[in-house]
Amino acid sequence: MSNDVLVIGGGIAGIQAALDLAEMGIQVHMVEKLPSIGGKMAQLDKTFPTNDCAI
Amino acid sequence: MLDVGRHPRINLLAYSEVQEVGGEVGAFKIKVLKKARFVNQDLCTGCGSCAEKCPSMVVDAYNVGLGQRKAIYKYFPQGIPSVFTIDAPNCRQLGQGKKCGVCAKVCQAKAIDYEQKDQEIEIEAGAIILATGYEVFDPSVIPEYGYDRIANVVTAMEFERLLSASGPTAGHLDRPSDIAMEHELEELEKEHKKVSRQVKQLEEKCGKTSQEAAEMLKACATIEGIDLQAWSDMAAKAGQMEKRIAELKQKVASFRTAKKLAFIQCVGSRDFRFNRFCSSYCCMHSVKEAMIANEHDSEVRSTVFCMDLRAVGRNFEEYKVRGGKQSNIEYIRGRVAEITEDEAHNPVVWYESTTNRQVVHEVFDMVVLATACIPSEGTPKLAGLLNVELDQNGFFKTHPLAPLNTSRPGVFVCGCAQGPMDIPESVAQASSAAARAAEAVSVRKVVG
Repeated sequence: MSNDVLVIGGGIAGIQAALDLAEMGIQVHMVEKLPSIGGKMAQLDKTFPTNDCAI
Repeated sequence: MLDVGRHPRINLLAYSEVQEVGGEVGAFKIKVLKKARFVNQDLCTGCGSCAEKCPSMVVDAYNVGLGQRKAIYKYFPQGIPSVFTIDAPNCRQLGQGKKCGVCAKVCQAKAIDYEQKDQEIEIEAGAIILATGYEVFDPSVIPEYGYDRIANVVTAMEFERLLSASGPTAGHLDRPSDIAMEHELEELEKEHKKVSRQVKQLEEKCGKTSQEAAEMLKACATIEGIDLQAWSDMAAKAGQMEKRIAELKQKVASFRTAKKLAFIQCVGSRDFRFNRFCSSYCCMHSVKEAMIANEHDSEVRSTVFCMDLRAVGRNFEEYKVRGGKQSNIEYIRGRVAEITEDEAHNPVVWYESTTNRQVVHEVFDMVVLATACIPSEGTPKLAGLLNVELDQNGFFKTHPLAPLNTSRPGVFVCGCAQGPMDIPESVAQASSAAARAAEAVSVRKVVG
């Protein structure tokens, strides 16, 4: 039996889910296929609707 | 991103893939393959001196093929974990069997490890969250838009990289055809320098000009140890190159950044040939990109071609109207039939304006395709490993009344892995999925 959670994917959704769980005191394992997390959002220049920097 | 890397309760396994999933809710057993980076993650400081000296250039996937990176690289500068990775197939030492070892020589932290092996890690988890995201549709399968033929027709993701200050053009809207020509000029100048140096060496060695050598060749005369034919060919080649360089230089001098942009909506989505569904976020990202382009350069004018602009969220309509009023954006209701190219590499957009009931064509500097959001490449494989169902569009299937539950208990899904959605919705779903997963692991904790 385990109380850990596995998050597959390190894009904006995976990052948010992992941080929420970790803040709740739950141990998280995050698996990302690419060498860095960030996903598609890290490729965007600015994001809608505030036109703020994506990174 | 940084918080994930630093959090004591997050075990980050980047450059890794799930290989096997067994067990059930409360006790999943997962095998993960941690791929070899050939760099010791604990020693690497991320300083980048290895990449500076690495001799192999590779097309950069982060910049969607618009730039180049080295064979030892960081996926992007702010990437977490902040360590370098060797792209083995493109590395001289690891992939091509040549003697190199430059990165190991320059690394002060002694982090390079050519012997590193893939590692299999076993994880136990009570719940699983799928956040595998999406892929951008490849528009080259739509022949009428000419994405693979016309250099200045780009995807929205490519346009994002061109707009970005950290991108290949440092945020200037240089057109891909112009970049390619500048690159050609650069390469030609390098080659010309090499050839003319060889010609000059021959001239100095023999004490004759290339013209005299050509005349000697005509008269069937010879110089001992010198191939006059090769000399004369080389001199002719250098002459041709000079002409082409002058031509290119003139063209390059006339280049300016793109001022007139066309955005084409529903590329590969809401199209019965490809994907029937609406990708939901593209309407707003096209308006956003047009606004940012205008922020960079107030002379930029954009036209958005759409069936209907779906500004459905709170304040989205106001954002669209603001774009029209303040950022020189015009919205045209009409599906683009074809894109052709004129002599100056300008894309020509042919469309039917439904408001004027006319077929019109218009020349633009650049066309941006709002490409569909499709399931990420590994989705079917992962679905097989996890034994979860996919929906008719290939995304992870969920129940309308339990939008985060997959068909397997204890496996939740959030973000674009479930279907196209924008960033705020992905974030909201992620928090919900986290709550559902927390429930799955802690309720059991209280009960049993």
